[in-house]
Amino acid sequence: MAASSREHVLSIYRLLLKESKKFPSYNYRTYALRRVRDAFRENRTVKEAQRVEELLNIARKNLAIIQRQVCVGQMYEAQKTVVEQEKQKSS
Amino acid sequence: MASRALAQCVRSLARASARLNEGRSVCVLLASAQRPLSSWTCSQRTSRTELLRIPSPSVHPCRLYSDAPPLTLEGIQERVLYVLKLYDKINPDVLKSTSHFMKDLGLDSLDQVEIIMAMEDEFGFEIPDGDGEKLMTPEEIVTYIADKKDVYE
Repeated sequence: MAASSREHVLSIYRLLLKESKKFPSYNYRTYALRRVRDAFRENRTVKEAQRVEELLNIARKNLAIIQRQVCVGQMYEAQKTVVEQEKQKSS
Repeated sequence: MASRALAQCVRSLARASARLNEGRSVCVLLASAQRPLSSWTCSQRTSRTELLRIPSPSVHPCRLYSDAPPLTLEGIQERVLYVLKLYDKINPDVLKSTSHFMKDLGLDSLDQVEIIMAMEDEFGFEIPDGDGEKLMTPEEIVTYIADKKDVYE
């Protein structure tokens, strides 16, 4: 991977993780974090520049999706799940 | 009358919130909410506001300005190592202050990004991408944070 695309990959990984953490819903949040990590790990060994570019575009589209869904989720927040309430009590 | 029902609800609210020990300020709010109702109906409602004034001598409205306790180098190092031990890809027995993430602990750049994000969450300030990439041992992270937070020996 060229130096610039490595930078791109790492920065978009960071942005995706940061946005995914903002989901108010427990399910969406844990799914998004898990899926982002797994997808990046799966495609770790890809070498061809074109394929890397394709994957980066998919990542950018998904980043936009996550950003929109975070906004929508924050507008219409539902009740916190039992798992989350327990965590608050213990901390 | 609807206003009487409303007043009763407000009173039960006041009782509930007094139990939560927010006494005086809530009562003042509620008492002021009562007044528009009483002005509409023009009957003796002043007795209700008297009933609502629940005494709470310990609660004084005041503002608390405070900052977090000052950071020390040992404190920063402790927290950094604690966060690293919680990370599931790191073996806590092998972890030392000088262990290199990639060479000693066998992590890759994606893991390193996650670690730096965990440090950002722990210490509550942004670490830019360029700086974050270079931090490869816990020792380096501690010196970086001490540098940014102006912590001296």
